[in-house]
Amino acid sequence: MDLAQLTRDLEALVEETRAALAAAPDTAAVEALEVEVLGKKGRLTIVLRGIGQLPAEERPLVGAVANRVRGAIEGEIGARRTELGAAELESRLRAETTDVTTPGRPIRRGSLHPSIEAMAEIARIFGQFGFVVYESPEIEDDEHNFQMLNIPPDHPARDLWDTLYVDVPGHLLRTHTSPGQIHVMRTVKPPIRALLPGRCFRYEAIDASHGTEFFQVEGLMVDEGTTLGDLRGLLDEFAHAMFGAGKKTRFRPGYYPFTEPSVAFDVECLVCGGPGCPACKRTGWMTILGAGMVHPVVLRHGGLDPERYQGFAFGMGPERISMLRHRIHDLRLFLENDLRFLGQFR
Amino acid sequence: MRVPLSWLAELVELELTPEELADRLTMLGMEVQAIERRGTDWSDVVVGELLAVEPHPRADRLSLTKVTIGHGAPLQIVCGATNIAAGQRVPVALPGAVLPGGRRIERAEKMGVTSEGMLCSGDELGLTADADGILILDGETQLGRPLAELYGDTVLDVDVKPNRGDALSIVGIAREVAASTGAEVRLPATEVEDDGAPVEGLVAVEVEDPQLCTRFVGRHVGGVTIGPSPDDVQMRLIAAGVRPVSNVVDASNYVMIELGKPIHTFDAAAVGRAAAGRARIVVRTARPGERIETLDHVVRELHPDTLLIADPGGPIGIAGVMGGAASEVSETTTDVIIESAVFDPVSIRRTAFHYGLRSEASLRFEKGQEQRLARLGADRTARLIHEWAGGSVARGRVDTNPDEPAPRTVAFRPARVDRLLGTNLGSETQRDLLRRVGISTEAEARPVTIPVAAGSAPEAVEAPAGDAVVATIPTWRRDIEIEADIAEEVARIHGYEAVPGRLPSTPMPGWRPSPLALREAVREALVGAGVTEAVTYALVSPRLVADFAWSVNPPPATGEGAREGGPITVTNPLSADHAILRHSLVGSLTQVVAGNVRHGRDDVAVFEVGKGYGRVADETVEWWRLGLALTGAFEPAAWNRPARPADVDDAKGLIELVAGVIGAGRPTYMALTDEPILHPGRSALASASDRAGRLALSGVVGELHPRLIEAWDLRVPRLIVAELSVAGLGGGGLPSVEFEAVSRFPAVERDLAVVVDEAVPAADVESAIREAGGENLRSVVLFDLYRGRPLADDERSLAFRLRFEAPDRTLTEVEVEEAIATISGALGHRVGGRIRA
Ligand SMILES: [Zn+2]
Repeated sequence: MDLAQLTRDLEALVEETRAALAAAPDTAAVEALEVEVLGKKGRLTIVLRGIGQLPAEERPLVGAVANRVRGAIEGEIGARRTELGAAELESRLRAETTDVTTPGRPIRRGSLHPSIEAMAEIARIFGQFGFVVYESPEIEDDEHNFQMLNIPPDHPARDLWDTLYVDVPGHLLRTHTSPGQIHVMRTVKPPIRALLPGRCFRYEAIDASHGTEFFQVEGLMVDEGTTLGDLRGLLDEFAHAMFGAGKKTRFRPGYYPFTEPSVAFDVECLVCGGPGCPACKRTGWMTILGAGMVHPVVLRHGGLDPERYQGFAFGMGPERISMLRHRIHDLRLFLENDLRFLGQFR
Repeated sequence: MRVPLSWLAELVELELTPEELADRLTMLGMEVQAIERRGTDWSDVVVGELLAVEPHPRADRLSLTKVTIGHGAPLQIVCGATNIAAGQRVPVALPGAVLPGGRRIERAEKMGVTSEGMLCSGDELGLTADADGILILDGETQLGRPLAELYGDTVLDVDVKPNRGDALSIVGIAREVAASTGAEVRLPATEVEDDGAPVEGLVAVEVEDPQLCTRFVGRHVGGVTIGPSPDDVQMRLIAAGVRPVSNVVDASNYVMIELGKPIHTFDAAAVGRAAAGRARIVVRTARPGERIETLDHVVRELHPDTLLIADPGGPIGIAGVMGGAASEVSETTTDVIIESAVFDPVSIRRTAFHYGLRSEASLRFEKGQEQRLARLGADRTARLIHEWAGGSVARGRVDTNPDEPAPRTVAFRPARVDRLLGTNLGSETQRDLLRRVGISTEAEARPVTIPVAAGSAPEAVEAPAGDAVVATIPTWRRDIEIEADIAEEVARIHGYEAVPGRLPSTPMPGWRPSPLALREAVREALVGAGVTEAVTYALVSPRLVADFAWSVNPPPATGEGAREGGPITVTNPLSADHAILRHSLVGSLTQVVAGNVRHGRDDVAVFEVGKGYGRVADETVEWWRLGLALTGAFEPAAWNRPARPADVDDAKGLIELVAGVIGAGRPTYMALTDEPILHPGRSALASASDRAGRLALSGVVGELHPRLIEAWDLRVPRLIVAELSVAGLGGGGLPSVEFEAVSRFPAVERDLAVVVDEAVPAADVESAIREAGGENLRSVVLFDLYRGRPLADDERSLAFRLRFEAPDRTLTEVEVEEAIATISGALGHRVGGRIRA
């Protein structure tokens, strides 16, 4: 073995490798070739074993040549790998192409019931004004449902609430959430800003606008200075939050035995916007709730001094609010639980 | 209350359009619910004059008439009525006319003669009750004028609130109009030409219970001629919603509508006499065994509390509710006794309810009547009977209580009224406003008592000198008793719209957790998991209650109500389907599933957060539960996925989701084999505890028993249900999350396949692993379940992935192997399991 022979062998290895690279069909062949030529037991290593037989003074010269050859081979392999890799990626991407216009894998979505959600929405709106939520029983006694609300037995105002009675002496199914006013006043001291959502019952045949079961949200605000004007201001905010900023509202006398003065609160017809249509019985207005200043008798039954404390109460039907907002024509839908109805809400 | 504007206009100036008037009334609290225009449906009905009336050549009962409508050739019209004669003016429906009810008039052949229209009766036009005769118009009526211009009317339907009985009258509505416009009310005339014999010789009245009948005014009209009322009276009554009967009966109804005073008239000849020959009337309660045939020809057994109008022979009427048939004014009546009385409102209301006889009259009595009205009503009725039916009015009245109480006074503080309303009206303005509804006021310089509350919690305060005004309330305004009533009256007349709105600036209440917080979190999680929220009736049928009654009763979650007590039944249900308050949600939810399946939805997943109700002795209890029902595919099929049917594991997954939301640990399940409403092999009790070890979730999950699916025709192969008590559902908040440090050191995972007997529940194997695993065992998750070779037939293999992790170091292989060895030993002696290599 001499230096010249060794140099020739190295040059031949470069040439061979170059040819093999050109013939390599894919990156795997390049990898194999890399191992075959540059690996620990590769051909370059074998060739360089011959160095040991050379005289000591020639060895550095061979080292330089060997390094040049290794660099050249590495460069050739790298270039070929890049070239083939790009092509392979290209063909893989082509092969993996799918029809991206197909629909996705469905995720089933449930929906919140519109009655409950309307109550939650009402609570969110009044929550901004400091109102907190309370709950009271659905089975009440006559005292709480009527008498403490200034509706004595055999009072003609009882005609306003057709009542379902139960076989527990003195008890009935609450006809409204208003008894909650008494419970709250007996639980906490003013200042009171309370909301009482819940289920109510009436002896009323079921039709498009009446139900034997429905929900109500009662509001109660009592302190030393809350006025009828505050009620108006707050209800305006509510109407704007619920039905849209700028909606016109109307405040007119109503009648409830447990408020004095009593109020009916209207919002401009959401269908016709005022001129009158069948939806608003040609009045241009839709009544959304009843309200009034808490009657002194009710304050007294709530344990509060009507000389010192005053405030307002209101009551509204979340289904009615929901019907107005979503243009739902039939109250019965709320308890039928048809998924084609329920699925339309969030 | 139906208010014909023609009638109202007689009592008060109306310078407003019906719409403006309706708006004014509504803004005064007299809500106008509808404006009805009468006569708009008489198209092409005009005034005509009969030129000739001759017999029809071929029909005995018909007449052949020639009619002019003032222009054009005379019309030939066939008519069947017998009250017509040449020279009369009558309503003529021309061909093309459409009458009330949609009846169209055309030129037609009638027994060989062409009829060019129709002569109309009052009934055909909806104007009077006379269906037999043609409506004969005044001889001066202008020919050719559309009838709608002459007799059309507008009727306001006013929703009079229960506290305003005084407004159940044309006079009452006129007063409201006057309050709004400032016009004067012209009260109906009540003066009577009573030149007959003294009434004392004809009628005697005795009231046995002056509490129940505070006044009875009687009058007598002799020698009347019963017949129809004048046409214009009939028209008014019909417009007001009252059917005309006869002049005498119509007079009493007329006074009820006009003055709001219910009146009853008796045939004097049918009222029993006392010794002196006078008709003798006693107002008393019923005696045992008494009965009466009422005007509707029903014989009624009388309840002892019923207040009666009686004569010496027995009852002749139920006071304030309905008269007796025997003393009814009829065609042969000649002498009439008028009853104008005031009865106790509660007694009348109870009586009307008791007999199911609530009428226009009883409604007015129930709301209370002023004493004065008894006199006015009697006089007005006598006057109208005299005018419409002739005869002579006996002189004077019998009157059991001629005292007419002075108007009530209510003292108020104008400053307090302003403070309630949020206004700055001041004393003078408030007094001006009150004057417009007939409330006179006087400033009071001395200290005076202010009525603050009345009724069941009366309360009064002393106002310092100079602060108060004393208001004198008109006798008809029984609703104004306290200072707040005055405030409403001030606001009403001032206009509610004129009360300035503002946002509250009073102190805020302190923070309070919302009882809806946890409920909302649970609901939203379930909705996110694809389950839809349902709301079902709390009132259900007895059959549903019986068939879906749970026999197991797992303990409620901490702080939640137990399901307890007997069923609560509605005593006056509207239907058997809504007669009992439910004990559980699951029956209702199966009905939701079934309803949707019938609509073609095979895949249904619903939940409800609702209450159960029970009775313990004489107390009622209510408890909150979460109910679930699943059927069909839990993962519905798509083009890229097959359907996966819902099973109990899906329901358990949802339960585990809820446990996570409320901060409870992973639920554990225990086989439930003896719950009759569930599949004995596919049901479990589920429970989970919170960090403090309290029961946070507790309930039942399983497949509905196939027997129930069949019995209720649910039309589903399988139905998965669950009902759970969840801590906080009844009003708790979400528990706060306590952070647990995350280890910085790597975890070691080991898979462990445990072979056990088929009968050994997976839960037992898991808990054996957990308990033996030591403190570094962080999680145990079942990931595979295998049966078959090489296992024995009654064996199965449960594969668990165990994760070990220490907070302070990397666990060594040795430590983990030691733990596995301990677990392996525990499995051997606790569940007879062996580790499969
Ligand atoms: Zn409208």
